[in-house]
Amino acid sequence: MTVDMSQFYEVFFDEAEELLAEAERLLLGIDIANPDMEELNAIFRAAHSIKGGAATFGFMDMTEITHVLENLLDKIRKNEMAITAEHVDAFLAAKDVLKMEVDGHRLATEVDQDQVADVKAKLKLLSEAGGVAITAAPVVAAASTPAPVAESAPAGQEKVAQEATPPASPLASEDGLSHFNIVLPEITDKDVTNLQEELSLLGEVSSSKNENGRYVFKLATDSSQADIVSICSFILDPDDLVITLGASSPTTATQPVFEQVTPEANETAVMAEADETKEESKPSTNSKVVIHEEVGYGLFAVEGKENEEEGYGFFAPFKPHPDSVKTTLIGDDTVVTEANSGKASEEAKVAATTAIPTENPDKKNLGRRESDKNPASAETTSIRVGIEKVDQLINLVGELVITQAMIEQRISALDPVQNEPLINSVGQLTRNTRDLQESVMSIRMMPMDFVFSRFPRMVRDLAGKLGKKVDFVTVGATTELDKGLIERIVDPLTHLVRNSVDHGVEMPEKRKAAGKSETGVLTLSAAHKGGSIVIEVTDDGAGLNREKLLAKAKANGLTVSENMTDTEVFSLIFAPGFSTAEVVTDVSGRGVGMDVVKRNISAMGGVVEIHSALGYGTTISISLPLTLAILDGMSVSLGSSIYVIPLNIIVETLQPRAEDIKTVTGEGHMVHVRGEYLPIIALHRLFNHPTEITDPTQGVLVLLESDGKKSALFVDRLVGQQQVVIKSLETNYRKIAGVSGATIMGDGCVALILDVPALVQMSQTSNYLTGAMPFSHHGAQSIPNQAV
Amino acid sequence: MNTSTESVSNTSSARLKSAAGEYLTFVLGDEEYGLEILKVQEIRGYDSVTQIANTPDFIKGVVNLRGKIVPIVDLRIKFHLGKVVYDEFTVVIILNLGGRVVGIVVDGVSDVMALKEDQIRDVPSLVTSIDTKYIVGLATVEQQMLILVDIEQLMSSQEMALLDVAVH
Repeated sequence: MTVDMSQFYEVFFDEAEELLAEAERLLLGIDIANPDMEELNAIFRAAHSIKGGAATFGFMDMTEITHVLENLLDKIRKNEMAITAEHVDAFLAAKDVLKMEVDGHRLATEVDQDQVADVKAKLKLLSEAGGVAITAAPVVAAASTPAPVAESAPAGQEKVAQEATPPASPLASEDGLSHFNIVLPEITDKDVTNLQEELSLLGEVSSSKNENGRYVFKLATDSSQADIVSICSFILDPDDLVITLGASSPTTATQPVFEQVTPEANETAVMAEADETKEESKPSTNSKVVIHEEVGYGLFAVEGKENEEEGYGFFAPFKPHPDSVKTTLIGDDTVVTEANSGKASEEAKVAATTAIPTENPDKKNLGRRESDKNPASAETTSIRVGIEKVDQLINLVGELVITQAMIEQRISALDPVQNEPLINSVGQLTRNTRDLQESVMSIRMMPMDFVFSRFPRMVRDLAGKLGKKVDFVTVGATTELDKGLIERIVDPLTHLVRNSVDHGVEMPEKRKAAGKSETGVLTLSAAHKGGSIVIEVTDDGAGLNREKLLAKAKANGLTVSENMTDTEVFSLIFAPGFSTAEVVTDVSGRGVGMDVVKRNISAMGGVVEIHSALGYGTTISISLPLTLAILDGMSVSLGSSIYVIPLNIIVETLQPRAEDIKTVTGEGHMVHVRGEYLPIIALHRLFNHPTEITDPTQGVLVLLESDGKKSALFVDRLVGQQQVVIKSLETNYRKIAGVSGATIMGDGCVALILDVPALVQMSQTSNYLTGAMPFSHHGAQSIPNQAV
Repeated sequence: MNTSTESVSNTSSARLKSAAGEYLTFVLGDEEYGLEILKVQEIRGYDSVTQIANTPDFIKGVVNLRGKIVPIVDLRIKFHLGKVVYDEFTVVIILNLGGRVVGIVVDGVSDVMALKEDQIRDVPSLVTSIDTKYIVGLATVEQQMLILVDIEQLMSSQEMALLDVAVH
């Protein structure tokens, strides 16, 4: 059988990355003192799926690692071994190695073989050192049956079935496994080995030869015969296969039942109340609860009908809520992740803040389960689409919006009485177009969780390295942002989070001395505010020291004064090469970073602000436009042309009085606004654009603020405020100084979008002098000394 | 189908050989020019153009071509040919040059002609405002001389200032 597997590689890589991320999330959330079986199962399944995929595609390095990982997980899962912090660390390390290997295969990046060997050795060691059985006997009894949980709903799909059926260990062979004898046709030894490997995914395999010289596999598994056949059919013709059911299989009879019931169970899982997710972080301490939960999955424990019903009876009290899934997704959820480098003593406290106390242990279990099911169901209802297809769709809708605006404009010239039906229809079209545009734009939107999810791990590692204790809290992870922005916000946010852990949060003893809790809290939040999204990194650490900043700025040769406002002082940290950290660590403190952060965010059209109180902490807030494709703009006219100025940098607009216009040496023009002298940038001179209005008092001054500096742009008049779709000039032309892009106006004409920072720079660097000539009255002005 | 876009530094015979093909002929002043038909995306009238600051005068600006922002170059201004008037007869040839869309303003579009190798002659060295390296060859059709331009080379040349590399 020769199929070109490489065409499926991408799918595998994507899937593997998702699974790894999911496993990491679960690992970080795991409560060592009281591990949740469901979570362990989920981690196990992730490892197992990767292993299966890697084996299929022949990435043996990944198979090896996942295999050891799986062994260890399996032991923990079956309560043969208690999970420790050391385990979690080892698992995380294994996850890193796997990620490295995925990248190695995908992007041909280097794979550190030493690290791979280290991790493998460590996992092996841990897995051999184990055997510390947990004393809670009933739990062991119930848990030792491998639990094919509800995820295996689409029964018959071979891959899903594999995921749900862990390989049986010798210990498990006693209970609930079918023993198959598989007599193979005549095939090569190599195929036999391959087949044995494949089958070992289902359970324990031993091979022997029968009297005819054929290979016979003995397979102990909880999978059905159909699964075995489907696996074998990769390598040989299933018709040649003889499969017989061996002895000692007390529970095979229950298997069909399991297959029938699961789809229903899966369905109900999704529909469970959204509120229940809050319960997730509450450790379950009631041993009764644990037993109950395990019995629920103990399908194969021969306990009769009553038990079976109980197993699926979890979800019965809950009426299907069609909206509940949605609520979970859009709700402003608060996820608390423990990133404590020490013991999880704060757990209860953290849990208490998020968990809603409840008397009903059943409900508690439910919530946890439901939260596990959600990702699975989300996966089946989404499709992967190339980003270029989405962009094309967005472009086309952009066209539609423009065309629709054109029609609307034409219609407005018609007699409203005679053409009433037409006007009504166009009104309808307008609404539909808006809705369409909104939905299409939302395709590109991704939840902030995509970014946030990488930080718990980072904070945990960093805090561990620095010997600090940090609780990492994310708020509003479901807030959506354009994919383009999401990708670009990662680096700046990483810098900020690192900085907060390194410089913001103090050492535990210092915190204690200051009367604060030893554990610092680092909050990452995202929220919509007006037309923008605000992302905040907040720590309750030392705060910024104004005096220290000023001293450092002076030492660095920056011009500062004692009169500067706090905001101005705090903005100093964005200056290149500026760091107040006394010790340069390998984490941060080299003074590179903050200026890059600022530059990256400005490039996205965003603004960074710092709020800080000495001793109480620092908040750095980033506000970003919702999308890169649409801009809120003010259109202004200059001669016969229309230009668009991004609305977020406009402070105000005004028509100056003649006496407010000042000059320096009769040339450099300024306007006096509320005690400030602002340079006037005359757009018609900068752009050599013919216009009738050359006197600022006849036109309009648009006060702009960019890079913390204010200036006044002189244009003919304001036209209106509107949202514009940004088009690149560079696609067919080239970059133009002072212009960041173009857009198409309602009448189909092209308007250029001004690049204000570049304009300001142009007006300063060129030897162009603002309105040196045509201002009618400048001779009468005296030179204002204080402005020089 | 051979294209004429291959390097202009080829020997002239090789260049002439590859020059055979179908040409769109257009008029600039009194002269007739031809450009490879496959480079032409469409022909349209002259619409209102958005001027761009600080660009040479032959770059008229940009227009909205079904949502794409397309620069318009007036070849009459560039080569000082013909009367520069914009009316309902002014023609813009929209070219698609390796994915980049550019419009050129000409006096008029006349015909599409299939030219064979033996109809095309080499260009003598001359001093003209079009560098002869952008001229593929000359052809005679019904006593009229047809100047075959390598439009892709010409439009991406530095003097056209249409590309970013040109300004650096």
